[in-house]
Amino acid sequence: MLYKELRARNFEIISVAQDTGGAKAAGPWITAAKPEYTALVDEKQIVTQKYGMVNVPTGVWINEQGRIVRPNEVAFIDDRFKSFTNVESAPYIDAIRDWAANGAKSVYVLSEAESKARLKPPSDDRARADAEFALAEYLYKQGKGVDAIPHFKEAQRLDPDNWNYKRQAWALSDAERDYGTNFGKEVKKLNGKPYYQPRKLPEAKKGANDRRN
Amino acid sequence: MIRYLVLLAIATTFAVTARASDAKTPVVIYDGKATEVSAAPEASNDLWITTGDLTRATRFVIKPQGVCRDELCFPLPKNRKAEFVSKKGPTTWFNLSAFAKLIKQPVVVDQKNGVWYFGARDAEQNGYLTSLEAPNFTLPDLNGKLHSLADFRGKKVLLVTWASW
Repeated sequence: MLYKELRARNFEIISVAQDTGGAKAAGPWITAAKPEYTALVDEKQIVTQKYGMVNVPTGVWINEQGRIVRPNEVAFIDDRFKSFTNVESAPYIDAIRDWAANGAKSVYVLSEAESKARLKPPSDDRARADAEFALAEYLYKQGKGVDAIPHFKEAQRLDPDNWNYKRQAWALSDAERDYGTNFGKEVKKLNGKPYYQPRKLPEAKKGANDRRN
Repeated sequence: MIRYLVLLAIATTFAVTARASDAKTPVVIYDGKATEVSAAPEASNDLWITTGDLTRATRFVIKPQGVCRDELCFPLPKNRKAEFVSKKGPTTWFNLSAFAKLIKQPVVVDQKNGVWYFGARDAEQNGYLTSLEAPNFTLPDLNGKLHSLADFRGKKVLLVTWASW
């Protein structure tokens, strides 16, 4: 398995479940996967907020100095959902292997300028959306699920491309009844646009210096 | 009949008490931590809290140079002090929601439940966009053991999110 192979190369995987339902929701999946890597549970979607994420799975590469060397991108490390997502995991896994082996010299490590360019500054609306989502999460945990709904809706309105905030809210509720929609319908509305932003991986072979991206 | 009236009286008292106590305990969520605070005597669309509650809920303290926490101080605009601070008898009240707007901090409220949520300030939230320093977080594993990203310094880390939904 990927992790076993790579951890000898000073490499770690931290997987973080973005789940308001906490260990109860994410736990069975984690237990079934029997991970040797670090598997954490993030009930408040703190990582989504701090890294400005909008979807799962999202991967970020962080180097030995704690700096981002590849920001948010779709990060499948297996093909379980390939029929739905149309995203192959193999190129991403190859990229990870290359990074583990070559570190800063890997062709997949981005320049600072490229990383900064790919990190979009969030809008003021995103900051408010984060706050509305967090308020909704608090109310939900207080047993006030009905009162949480308007705040989940407000978070979705303020940050309409944020699938984490949509799908989490729908999952806590009867989406049709409370939100007048569901995941399948919303994906259909994309009208052929990809649900996941395509990855921008260089096609270069291992060890090549060509940084086409 | 008398028994019915007594029950009705008790029920009414309970209902009134419950409503009054609901209105009396606003909740402030600051840095992710929820704190019950005393309600202001006058109704307002803003959140006025005592200076004692201010420090309890946010660790901010009002000083001559401004509203401060550790090394960080935000001066209040001189000609607008009354918008932020109001002395009533022995108690000094502070307008936390107006202060949030002053320091560009998102604030949202659920009026029905009296819950005020104060989000991350722009400067706290978005520093990584220019520094590229991966924002730290501390979260539990399934056994409740806490792990911080900072614990992994010195290694390459693939941070990957997923969800059960």
